Amino acid sequence: MNGYLRNIKVVYFRDLKQELRGLDEFLSMVVFGVMLVFITSFAFQLTDVDTSRILPAVLWVTIFFASELAVQRSFAREKERNAIDALLMALGDKSVLFYAKALANFTILLVFGVIILPVLWIFCDVSLRGVNLWLLVFSLVWGSWGLAAVGTMLTAMTVQLPNSRLLPILMFPLLIPLFIAVVRCTDLAILGVTEGALGWVYFVSVYDLLFSLLPLILFEFVLEG
Amino acid sequence: MRDRLEIKNLSKKLGSRMVLRGVSFSAETGDLIVLTGENGSGKTTMLRLLAGLSRPTGGAVLWNGSPYGIEHGSIGYVAHQPMLYDNLTVWENMQFFANLYDRPLTAIEGLLRRMGLWVFRHELAEILSRGMQQRLALARVLLMDPKLILYDEPFTGLDSAGQELLREALAGQKQKTIQIVVSHTPHLMAGLSFRHLKLADGKAHWGGVS
Repeated sequence: MNGYLRNIKVVYFRDLKQELRGLDEFLSMVVFGVMLVFITSFAFQLTDVDTSRILPAVLWVTIFFASELAVQRSFAREKERNAIDALLMALGDKSVLFYAKALANFTILLVFGVIILPVLWIFCDVSLRGVNLWLLVFSLVWGSWGLAAVGTMLTAMTVQLPNSRLLPILMFPLLIPLFIAVVRCTDLAILGVTEGALGWVYFVSVYDLLFSLLPLILFEFVLEG
Repeated sequence: MRDRLEIKNLSKKLGSRMVLRGVSFSAETGDLIVLTGENGSGKTTMLRLLAGLSRPTGGAVLWNGSPYGIEHGSIGYVAHQPMLYDNLTVWENMQFFANLYDRPLTAIEGLLRRMGLWVFRHELAEILSRGMQQRLALARVLLMDPKLILYDEPFTGLDSAGQELLREALAGQKQKTIQIVVSHTPHLMAGLSFRHLKLADGKAHWGGVS
């Protein structure tokens, strides 16, 4: 078990080091997010819609696009010179790769969310008064983990295929339940309403647990060449 | 104890084509086997099966009588692609694999010096020439102290000094490992004692000893 956790740590920190080295790619992801937030919030300000109600949807659409970029990039680095083969031979248990990459992608999404959320807050002109901060943090953290876990698993499945553009097609249907739940959680957090939130919290927790444990069984076959 | 690798009736289908059809052979520690065959004869497929990177359609790979019984971290693979991380330095590439194999970092310096890569240790792997990347891939494999080493066209891109280093590595590992080399240029291994195995029509045929 020590070797298992040590290998997760080694791959996780190497992934983050590579991400920091290619910081321009992360910055372009942030710029893309800010643009998306700006255009959407601007468009809705021209209507009678209360912009605070669209904040959750815009937030999760932005994080969804960012997650696609992040997970694809992390596996592209492995494929560049077939380094993934040397890595898989070194790891023994292939699920190590899932947990290390999902954690690295989760960290990136969390940093991205922390940058985008205040921007969104300003553009959507939402009052901070009455916000349920705990529920908001829960949504951001567990929503990001769910996205990272599903994205990492599906990218690993498609990375061995010649056409890895299948990812969004596979990713979206699997993520619909998570999106419904985290958008509701975020919405209730902004409104400061706790009634009915617990059900969504349980839903997100079970979803995340499922997609955190599934790769333990599946990842050995997912990466089959 | 001498380790024994047995390949029994191994077959592999890729797409609609049966690339390997019941390949059988065996090897023991100290054996150096040169695997030859025409393009598309299944040499790389064979190495990937032995490396555990692909599952056979039929047959078995036995290590000391046990299916896939080779301990994790005991197979070294010098592939056609160097299998390195471009945006990590030479040192960081070695450090990463040393950490995964739980090998002391002190072993890295000696290997990099031996491969003539010490002066490049702070350079990103992407700026190295093809030959230097091949040397780094070899250093990575030697770092892990393997029991079975698989080489896929290892002489590609190496200059004469690099070829000499590779021959030294092959000779140095001979007593403690089983080595299988896919090569179209077995003459570059002159002076090394090896068995010749040829893949043709999905089957393996022994071709004598050099």
